[in-house]
Amino acid sequence: MNVTLASYIRENLNPILESWKQFMEEEEEGKFFQIMSDDMIDSTAHELGELMIFSLTENNQEFARKVEEFSVKMARHGWSISFVMKALTNFTEAIYHHMGQTGFLNDNNSGNYIRLINNWLTPLNHSIVEAYSKTWERTVQLQKMALQELSASLIPVFDKISVMPLVGTIDTERAKLIMENLLQGVVKHRSEVVLLDITGVPVVDTMVAHHIIQAADAVRLVGAKCMLVGIRPEIAQTIVALGINLNDFTTTSTLQRGMEQALAITNRQIVEVEEQ
Amino acid sequence: MRTRIPILKLRDTLIVSIQWELDDQMALSFQEDLLNKLHSTAARGVVIDLTSIDFIDSFIAKVLGDVISMSGLMGAKVVITGIQPAVAITLIELGIRLEDVSTALDLENGLEKLERELED
Repeated sequence: MNVTLASYIRENLNPILESWKQFMEEEEEGKFFQIMSDDMIDSTAHELGELMIFSLTENNQEFARKVEEFSVKMARHGWSISFVMKALTNFTEAIYHHMGQTGFLNDNNSGNYIRLINNWLTPLNHSIVEAYSKTWERTVQLQKMALQELSASLIPVFDKISVMPLVGTIDTERAKLIMENLLQGVVKHRSEVVLLDITGVPVVDTMVAHHIIQAADAVRLVGAKCMLVGIRPEIAQTIVALGINLNDFTTTSTLQRGMEQALAITNRQIVEVEEQ
Repeated sequence: MRTRIPILKLRDTLIVSIQWELDDQMALSFQEDLLNKLHSTAARGVVIDLTSIDFIDSFIAKVLGDVISMSGLMGAKVVITGIQPAVAITLIELGIRLEDVSTALDLENGLEKLERELED
């Protein structure tokens, strides 16, 4: 029976693809064929057909591998998942349609064939969904990594003075990373004063403030001093409105003023030299 | 018999370098030894170096805090040096802030800091 169906599909692949194209055209109102080139449609459709024949003739393991390959390829093309699923459903629809027309499918054997085709379709559906979600997960992961790389590097500016500019929203995970980088940097560069610049932090709520206070405390423990610079007016307002107590460490409005104070702490100052 | 932590005297400063993880009993005997030494030498400052310590639990942290307050009562200033980043993070996470303790990056900075503080 498998073989009969396989050879039937192999022989009638072209008319099936024709009616599939028609289905797709009706559904997407021609949009479909603007997205893909004709060659692409043909090759993909043939591949689908071959995959189906494959499922009927080869063993399950081999088929699973093929299905995975195909799904990954689909996902790589960057088509939307709903589009791919629709194409798949329509392809099956086209096969039934064609089988019905040619009289291959009749009341006696329809149950068996439907089951056979389902055997092919279900793993493919699952596999495609999985391939897509894997691609998405990977994208999210990459973006997360990119964000982490962007965040929290300690810059040694002068001897004994370092600056850590913070950009973007701070969540617990990032706060941990910031704290680790901060402390390791302080020890590595032997800094005595660290300026935490929060100019680029859009919102300072109690959670962010809590993380900053913790980081400053930890910096004090390793033997340096932490200053909070770049406090914008709106951040000052939120901090006071939320009743956050930042009295324990020095804060200034700009990095420039913070740097002056840091130099003063380490007994240095910037002087202008006369022109020669 | 457990090994005791050596306490060195350098002019009017005591230098303690803790080289291995303290257990509770050792921490308590260290507290006793240090206070006795302070009493017998009339040192004015103490530097405790924790560079080789990777882990501090809440009891050891409490003992350290106690030692510092006790030394303060006996008229000596204490500076803790070389707290490792990981240790600092653990302490902060345990909620131990060691608020009134002076700290320094390493022994050299610690001695300088102590000198400065004793001058004031």
